Amino acid sequence: MEQDTSRKEPQSSFRGLYRHVKISVKTLDKIIIGGILAIVLILLYGVSNNGYTITFDSNGGTDVPAQELMYGDLVVEPEPPTREGYTFSGWFKDENCLYEWNMEEYQVAEPMTLYALWIPETE
Amino acid sequence: MSDLKVKKPSKIEEMKAMSKKDRNRAIGDLLMNNAMFIIIGIAVIFIWIQEPKFLSMASIVNIVNLTMAKLPIALGVGGCIILAGTDISAGRQVGLAAAIAAGLQLTTNKLFPGLQVMPIPVAIAAVLVVGCIIGFVNGFCMARFKLHPFIVTLSTQLIVYGCLLMFMQLGTNSGQTLSGMSEAYREFVTGTLFKVGKTAVPNYVLYSAIIAVVVWTIWNKTTFGKNMYAVGSNEEAANVSGVNVEKTIIMVFMMAGMLYALTGFFDAARIASVNATTGLNYEADAIAACVIGGISFVGGIGKVSGAIIGVLLLQVIFVGLNFLSVDPNLLYIVKGLIILVACSIDMRKYLVRK
Repeated sequence: MEQDTSRKEPQSSFRGLYRHVKISVKTLDKIIIGGILAIVLILLYGVSNNGYTITFDSNGGTDVPAQELMYGDLVVEPEPPTREGYTFSGWFKDENCLYEWNMEEYQVAEPMTLYALWIPETE
Repeated sequence: MSDLKVKKPSKIEEMKAMSKKDRNRAIGDLLMNNAMFIIIGIAVIFIWIQEPKFLSMASIVNIVNLTMAKLPIALGVGGCIILAGTDISAGRQVGLAAAIAAGLQLTTNKLFPGLQVMPIPVAIAAVLVVGCIIGFVNGFCMARFKLHPFIVTLSTQLIVYGCLLMFMQLGTNSGQTLSGMSEAYREFVTGTLFKVGKTAVPNYVLYSAIIAVVVWTIWNKTTFGKNMYAVGSNEEAANVSGVNVEKTIIMVFMMAGMLYALTGFFDAARIASVNATTGLNYEADAIAACVIGGISFVGGIGKVSGAIIGVLLLQVIFVGLNFLSVDPNLLYIVKGLIILVACSIDMRKYLVRK
């Protein structure tokens, strides 16, 4: 019990998770202002970029260049890739080619990769 | 005039009575202690000027929906923080609960081949039981062995992640993303509650609101809630005054586990696909939200309304940054800095008070 009373004596002591922290208000002010400045700078850098990168995975076909688009933009229909022995059959949101990306309606909301679907040509 | 009758001076009057130096210091304190709110306010105005659609009705409803989806996990973590602890296993627990909920609701079940779609109450009960067990382990290790919450929850985080990966390997699934949940389940969680303009408000908003009311009642109106605050602010004093500290800690973590389980249950239907990364880093958002909302790491301090405000402010910022097409990778750096600044502000408040 005596230890308890002695522990309460230092004036700027914390409880809880901060219990071993020894820091002055001045230092905290510096951390707060510095942190906020860093957040602002990073966000300004983030806002000044060219938007989200949309890459095209042609799944073995010819390369398709990536596009940089802003939130809410429509993906510009790229030149269809080609692949020997297959017919190109559209761009899909997922690797398994289950959900087709509708270039005329869907808006970009995040960086993403679109996957090409190939249908084997039958003789 | 007797002193007793003098009305307590308002803050402004108090400030006028101070000397110039004191007044400057008081204004400085006010600015620093609310720095996070000020910066978020400026950010909202900036984003709104750049992209007026940000504060359109549809966008605001969307922000509220997202807030409600993340509220239960924040309330769970909030309880742990009030105990002067924390919980970094929260996100993985959400992931495991989401996987279990999805696993019982798949129409073509690869995890348990041949299993029919289970009734929704069974799925809820299953995730709640799992949440309870993990919460019990967390709480028990902390209460009985006096281990530091970071250590205990770090180890449960890994254990839960391992269980999640094993779960995804069951049957013929071999770790693939779970999707194709039953219509009834998706309707139960994401069905339209009502519409604001053209934007639907899904059912989970209602469930989340009910959860918030229940948590508020538990925190404020029950002995258990009062014990939680007592243990958080001073464990020894609580023990001396007859509070069962061990039981309180265990129960807080069990409650948190159940709240994470419900978050996972909603998330599986909300996102409509579950994989091993579901729930990753959710605890970071939840902890940041709680600290911004005034749930303090000094322990014993915090309100449900604080958690709601914290989650809402974070969602506003992140939805806004999405509107400005900010790279999501950068957002992790921003979140980290937000936690650092929010904790510094939190410390500053309680340092000045003494």
